[in-house]
Amino acid sequence: MYIPVFERGIIPPDPVAPDSLKGIPRQKTNPSRWQGDNWQDFVQDLRSRGVTVCESRADCSVFMTDSGGVAYGLPHGVVRPSSAEDISKVLKAAQAHRVPVTTRGGGLTTEGESVAFGGLLLDMSSMNRVLEINPDAMTVRTQAGIFWHQLAEILRRDGLDYLSAPLNFTASVGGTLGVGGIDVNSPRLGCSADQTVALQVVTPTGDIVNCSEQENPELMERVLFGYGQFGVITEATLKIRKFTPITIQYFYYSSLRTAIEDLQFIAREDASDYSGILTILDRAITLLVAFDSDEREREFNARWKRNLRGHGEAGFGLHMAWHYLLHPWRIKEAVYIIGRRFKLFPEFWRSEFMHNGKIVDRSVVFSRAVWKFWGGPQLVIPDLSSKAEKFAEAVERGNAVCRKYFRHYTLYCVGIKLRGKLPRYEMSCIPPDAADIAYGCEFEPMLRGTNYSRDYLQSFKNEIYDIGVDMGLSYYRFGGMMKGYIRRAIGDELVDKHLAMKKAADPAMILNAEVIF
Amino acid sequence: MPHTRKARARALHGGAALEDIAESIDSCLLCGSCEPVCPEGIGIAAMNMEQRHKLNKLRTNYPSWYPEPSGMNTRIKDNVLHNSIILIAGEYPGADLKARSAVIELLGGDKKVSLAVDDGRDIGGLLEACLPVSQDRIDDFIRPLRHADTLVVSEGLLHGPLRKWLPGKKVIGTGEALLSSAYIRKALGPEDLYIIECRGYHSDYERLVKFYDRLRKETGCQTNLDLQRIAIPTGASSLQAKKDLEAAGCLEQAGWIIRGRSMRRIVIEDLADREVFQRVTGVPVIHVSQLR
Repeated sequence: MYIPVFERGIIPPDPVAPDSLKGIPRQKTNPSRWQGDNWQDFVQDLRSRGVTVCESRADCSVFMTDSGGVAYGLPHGVVRPSSAEDISKVLKAAQAHRVPVTTRGGGLTTEGESVAFGGLLLDMSSMNRVLEINPDAMTVRTQAGIFWHQLAEILRRDGLDYLSAPLNFTASVGGTLGVGGIDVNSPRLGCSADQTVALQVVTPTGDIVNCSEQENPELMERVLFGYGQFGVITEATLKIRKFTPITIQYFYYSSLRTAIEDLQFIAREDASDYSGILTILDRAITLLVAFDSDEREREFNARWKRNLRGHGEAGFGLHMAWHYLLHPWRIKEAVYIIGRRFKLFPEFWRSEFMHNGKIVDRSVVFSRAVWKFWGGPQLVIPDLSSKAEKFAEAVERGNAVCRKYFRHYTLYCVGIKLRGKLPRYEMSCIPPDAADIAYGCEFEPMLRGTNYSRDYLQSFKNEIYDIGVDMGLSYYRFGGMMKGYIRRAIGDELVDKHLAMKKAADPAMILNAEVIF
Repeated sequence: MPHTRKARARALHGGAALEDIAESIDSCLLCGSCEPVCPEGIGIAAMNMEQRHKLNKLRTNYPSWYPEPSGMNTRIKDNVLHNSIILIAGEYPGADLKARSAVIELLGGDKKVSLAVDDGRDIGGLLEACLPVSQDRIDDFIRPLRHADTLVVSEGLLHGPLRKWLPGKKVIGTGEALLSSAYIRKALGPEDLYIIECRGYHSDYERLVKFYDRLRKETGCQTNLDLQRIAIPTGASSLQAKKDLEAAGCLEQAGWIIRGRSMRRIVIEDLADREVFQRVTGVPVIHVSQLR
C-alpha cells in the first residue's frame, strides 16, 4: 500500500471520500524517522549550556514504544530535565537547529504520541516533586512530570485528594492536562484539565511563562487539551478537596441503549458523585453509581433510584439464566461472563481497601481493577466522544465493530461535564457540538492469550475511528497515528486556524511534531 | 535510566547489552513490592534475579558491596534445635543485642524459643547478589531447624527460600510474631509510624496485607504502606546500604516515607532501619520488641 509522507506542518486534504469510509488510505500510520540533520551541533549546543543528553542505546530504547505498542520509534537522545530552565534551553536550541522534540510523561498514549521518531525525547518523569499544598485555597502546586498516584500519595497524608484523574497509576499530570483526563467523577467535575488553576509553561520557543485564567489566559487555553502543541507544561496548580471514602451501587442491564439512557439520566440530574458503565461484552452491562457522602446516597435512593431500569445482581442473574436457556449455543459466552464476574467483583471489595462498608482509595481500587482486568502489555482502546443525542448510536456501532473483531471485549462509558464553550475544547476530545455534558466510550478488546498482528489491531481502531468521522464525533486520542483523520473529523476551518497558531508559536514546528501537525 | 523492569526489558529489546543496564539491575533491592501490584501477575523479582545472575557471569569485577566470594563456602555448624519456635535473628549489632533478648522473652522465653546460632546471613547476601549458594551450605543451615513448627526470621529475604526448603513450616517475621500479642499491639497508637519489613511482607503479601490492615484498624497506627498497600522500603537491609546508606538512597526513601506525616515515634521491625530514620528525623526510633 502506498503511504505518502508529508512534511511537518502540512496537513493535506484528507483522502477519504464521504461515501467510502471503509478502507481509508491512511496518510501516515508509522511516521518516517527524522534523519538527524544538525543533531551533533544541537547536542554540542545543549552540553555547552549544561544540559545532559543521553544518547546510549539503552537510554533511548527505553522509550521505543508507548502503551499502545503499535507505534515504534527511537529518539536520537533523551534529556531528563530537572527544571523549566533545562527545558527552555532544549527548546531554544531545538528551534535554532530544527531538531524535533517529543515530550513524554508516563508514556500512556496509544497512538504513538509519546514515541519519538528520531530527535530528542524529553522524559518529564524526572520533574516529579509536589511544590506546595495550600489547604486554605484548596490547591496543590506540583511539577508536571509527577504521576497522579504519587500526587494522591502525598495529598492523602494531609487527608486531601485530587478532584479527577485518569484511572491509571502512571499517567503524568502534565500529559493528562494536555489531553483532558477522564475519571468516573467527570460527569460532575469535568476533565482533569478543567481542575487547573494555573500553569507554568515553556513555550516552543523556550520562554518560561506563567498562565492562568487571569494571567496569559490565551496560552492557558491553548495548552490545556492542546496535545503538547503549544508548550511543555512544567508546573500545574490544581484544585483539590478533602478525601472521602465512597459507597458504590451497581445496576445491571442486558441492553446497552437502556444503560446509556440511565447513565445520561444520572448525569443530567446530577444524581450521583460518580457514574460510569463497564461491560462484559455487550451482554452484562454494569452501571456503577457512587457517592462521597451518605447524604448524597440517601438523596439518590429517595429521588432517582426508582427511575433506573437496571436489575440488582440476583435479578440480573435470573434474567441471564433465562436468556442462555433460550440460547444454549451461546453457553461458552455465559461461562466467560460468569467466570469474569467472579474474578472481577472481589477486586472491588478487598478488605484492605474497605472501611466501615466504604471503599477507601477509590483511585487504587479502580485502577487496580482496570489494569488487572482490562489492561495488558498492550493497550488497544480506540474511543469516541459525542454529544448526548448521538452517543447511544455511536456506542452501538462501535460495539458491532468489537463483535466483528474480537471474542472478548469491554466498553467503558462516562460523561464529561463541560465548563461552557471554552477555546480549550476546540480540536480536543470534546466534540464541537456538545453542550453541558459530553459522553465518551472506550472500546477495549481483551488481548490476553491471543496474538494479533499490528495491522489487525490498527484495522480495528480505524473502523472505530471511521464511525467518528461518519457521525461527526471526536476522540480522546486523536493525535499520533490518527493524523490522517483530523481534517475530516474537525473540519478544515478549525484545522487551518490551529495550524496557523502552531506555526506562529513554533516557527520550526519542532514540538511534538508527530502528534497533530 | 529508569529502574523499572519494563524499562529494562525495552532497553534489551532495543539492542542494549546487560552490561549497559548494570546500574539499573544492581539497584533492585529485591524488596518484592513489584509483584503484588503487577496486573499481569509476573514474577518480576525472579526475573530481576535472573538478570542479575546473568550479569554476574559477564562481570569482570563485582560491585564493591557484593559479599566476598571467599565467604561463599563458610560452614557454620549449629546444634539441632528442639523448641517449637526458632528465632533466626540476623544482625543485632551492639546495643541491639538487648532487643534480641527482648524478642526471645516476648515470644515465650528460652524454654519455648531457641535462638539459631547460624542466622543464614551469608546465604541472604549470596541470594541478594544472585551468586550461587551450595547445597551443602543450605543443608547445614536448615538441618537444625527441622523440628520447629514456627521459624521467626528477621531477614525477610530468607522467608521465601525457607518456605521452599522447609515446606510445612510456618515462616514469619519478627514483627508479625510479636504483634500477635495483644499486649504489644496495645502499645501502638495513632501517633506511631510503624515500619514494616518489606521483603518478608511482600513474600507473603496476600496474607500479610490483611494482618497489617487489621493492625492499622485496631491501633490507628500509621504504616509505611502506600495507597496500594505496598510497603515502601528504605533499602537499609540491602548489601549496598551496608556499605553506604546514603549512596544506596536509603535516606531519600526514608524521607519520602515520613514526608507530610506527623508522628511522635517510629517503630521498626528491621533493625537496619534504625540508623536511617534516626538520621532523617528527630523522633525516637524503637524496635517493635521495645513496645510497652
